[in-house]
Amino acid sequence: MAAKYLKKENLVSWLQTLAKERLTLVPRREGDAVVFRPFAPGQDIPLDQQATTPPKAAVFPQCEPLLAFKYAKDPENPGKVGVQVKEKLGDTPSVVVGCRPCDARGFLTFDRVYDSDRASDLNYLTRRRNTLFATLACDEPASTCFCNWVGSGPADAEGSDILMVPVEGGFVLEPVTEAGEKLMEQAPLEDAGDKAALAEAVKENAAKALGEAPDLSQAREKLLSLFDNMDFWEGVSAKCISCGACTYLCPTCYCFNITDEQSGAEGVRLRTWDNCMSYLFTMEASGHNPRPTKAHRLKNRVGHKFSYYPDIHDGHIACCGCGRCIKSCPSSVDIRQIVLQAIAASAASE
Amino acid sequence: MSAAPGNELRIIGFLCNWCSYGGADTAGVGRMTQPTDLRIIRVPCSGRIDPLFVLKALVNGADGVLVSGCHPRDCHYAEGNFYARRRLEVLKRFLQVLGIDERRFEYTWVSASEGQRWQEVVQKFTERIHELGPAPKITPDQMAMAETMAAQPR
Amino acid sequence: MELLDQLKEKIKERLPELDVVIGWEQGFDPLHATPLFMRTEEDVDRLVFSPLCVHNLASHLTGLKGKKVGIVVKGCDSRSVVELLQEKLLVREDVTVFGLPCTGVVSLKKIKHALGGLDKVASAEFNGNELKVSAAGAARVLPLNEIAADKCGRCQYHNALLSDVFVGAPVEAAAEDNYADVEAFQAKSPQEQAAYWRDAMQRCLRCYACRNACPMCVCRDHCVAQSREPHWMTQQDTVQEKWFFQMIHALHLAGRCTECGECERACPVGIPLLLLKRKINKEIKELFDYQAGTKIDATPPLLSFKVEEENINERGW
Repeated sequence: MAAKYLKKENLVSWLQTLAKERLTLVPRREGDAVVFRPFAPGQDIPLDQQATTPPKAAVFPQCEPLLAFKYAKDPENPGKVGVQVKEKLGDTPSVVVGCRPCDARGFLTFDRVYDSDRASDLNYLTRRRNTLFATLACDEPASTCFCNWVGSGPADAEGSDILMVPVEGGFVLEPVTEAGEKLMEQAPLEDAGDKAALAEAVKENAAKALGEAPDLSQAREKLLSLFDNMDFWEGVSAKCISCGACTYLCPTCYCFNITDEQSGAEGVRLRTWDNCMSYLFTMEASGHNPRPTKAHRLKNRVGHKFSYYPDIHDGHIACCGCGRCIKSCPSSVDIRQIVLQAIAASAASE
Repeated sequence: MSAAPGNELRIIGFLCNWCSYGGADTAGVGRMTQPTDLRIIRVPCSGRIDPLFVLKALVNGADGVLVSGCHPRDCHYAEGNFYARRRLEVLKRFLQVLGIDERRFEYTWVSASEGQRWQEVVQKFTERIHELGPAPKITPDQMAMAETMAAQPR
Repeated sequence: MELLDQLKEKIKERLPELDVVIGWEQGFDPLHATPLFMRTEEDVDRLVFSPLCVHNLASHLTGLKGKKVGIVVKGCDSRSVVELLQEKLLVREDVTVFGLPCTGVVSLKKIKHALGGLDKVASAEFNGNELKVSAAGAARVLPLNEIAADKCGRCQYHNALLSDVFVGAPVEAAAEDNYADVEAFQAKSPQEQAAYWRDAMQRCLRCYACRNACPMCVCRDHCVAQSREPHWMTQQDTVQEKWFFQMIHALHLAGRCTECGECERACPVGIPLLLLKRKINKEIKELFDYQAGTKIDATPPLLSFKVEEENINERGW
């Protein structure tokens, strides 16, 4: 299928059709934030700027019950207590409409970890395979955007199923995957005609507006070489307040914690987001904590994204450049600056 | 016997060991009839009661919470209830912005010898909670959680 | 001499005897300032001060224990320093306070509403009490009183209450705080209030930015919210859990909160958290005639009592 044109006024009817078959998540304004929520007719769908939170929870919920368990005495042998376990899998077919290319691309970072030869995470994969992305290309970058630094761009279709390019009066829809094509078949589309050229222009302008990306090819080694330089890390982390806003808003942060929440003889095993900025993240049962200060923890966050992860995943940076960690940081910690400083600092020390 | 038979609500009582728990005991020994909606948790002193005990109970679905300790000047530990009084008063007023009806929480003083007074306090508070009815389920998640629990293997 | 130049000079004078001085510098875009940790004179040259310097730097103080720290404070920030000293969480000799007069800081949220977004700000400059800002190709002039943080409109302490070095001319004005916002919220029915908090808490990420940005939340890495023993909170992401955490936060700040509003400012999803703390402060004011962070030698009301309380009528129910 070639690119097609969707009039702005037809967006809602398309969403309505989609929502009949799939959980359809769209941006919604809630208070001062824009978050992804199930589509509901009559609600405003703010598409003019990046949502406050990424659609990460669509595939990787903030909290998901992995199983429910119950202890019960064996009636034949009361001394024996058995445990019954019921697994849970989230397999609702879903589609996210109106996320940005960086948001959809974030899951590629997850895939390399949770869908590899070494490990395959059934709970993640079930959701992942059931979730599609109709991504809105960016026409103008924000001051915090740096997707071009990490090998992407404002119209990057990687990780998306449909790419929607905003043009005057509507969107040019480009199918990326077969599944995306099927979704497009349900939309009241028109031939793109001369809109296709407009879409190309939008993409080009957006890419141009992002400017030149600095060369980060050195970051991997340079960050490693700074591993033991705590002066450097104490310097760049001084203003960090060690909260988890950056990681929980990050489309690529995939760490989790597993806890049993039990009440009486029954309970649930939960998987919840966890974050490396928290003191408890690396707290060991012995009481020892290998990352006792925020400097250690920020070092891990930056190092993991730009050095350790690329090291074992063919050079892919575990950052999609969405800039939420900068934009929403209470102290405006800028990860771009830290990476650049690391490259410069280790250059100076050589 | 519940204030409204067959329609028991959940009221949590935090009672200090030295006075109010004794008072409740006195009422029991004296065979004074009391509503059965109240579940008592004994604490060493009203000063032990973290206001968060009360909020935790209310947030998780208690229909009412009653705190009772020794009368001021009568604290077994001399001043525990003086501190409690300040905390509980602030707590009660805090409820006014939490969307929890402040009448669902009350604190009072009952001594070990006041079996009669204890009976009145419980009766009056239980009646009040029954007038208010079951606490509104705060959120849809409460329903979702209930479903999760119900979906557990039997 | 400009206030900023005077301040820089004073900091440079004291810098040799200090390990670090905390101030603000320009952040990633013209609207965002960011905390600056000054160790050298060159660092001091990067210092800025304007209504964009929204952060309460006192939040960093307890993390720098054992060091000689200088800190630049606005009136509201100084209350946090006072409260920390009052609670003996800081050693007076270790802290050098550079106090400033302040006529108000901005609320980036209000600017966001005015501009329709903060993503494309090209320039921002204060000219007296007006912010000239150009964003997404359009220039705007926003008067400070329209974009000032709510706390500034009711500020009673424009000038640092505590300072080793005070720079600039004290601001004369002081507003009244009648807690009108709390009163208005209280007028809603419990059902409406519950619905309001449910909607707000639904988007909470449990990132704990509210806690970590709070100058008075000094437990930091050892917060009860994440403790498994005692198990105050589960890891469920239900509204009750998230909301209960806000109750913990508010009650652990009862009689201590200096209303700097960092909890609310830090929240990445814009939950109006200060209201809860202001409600408690309002009652503490009424019951005990007390305001946190205004007197170093005052006894916090919840750490003391009177045998006969004038304002509590506990027998009346």
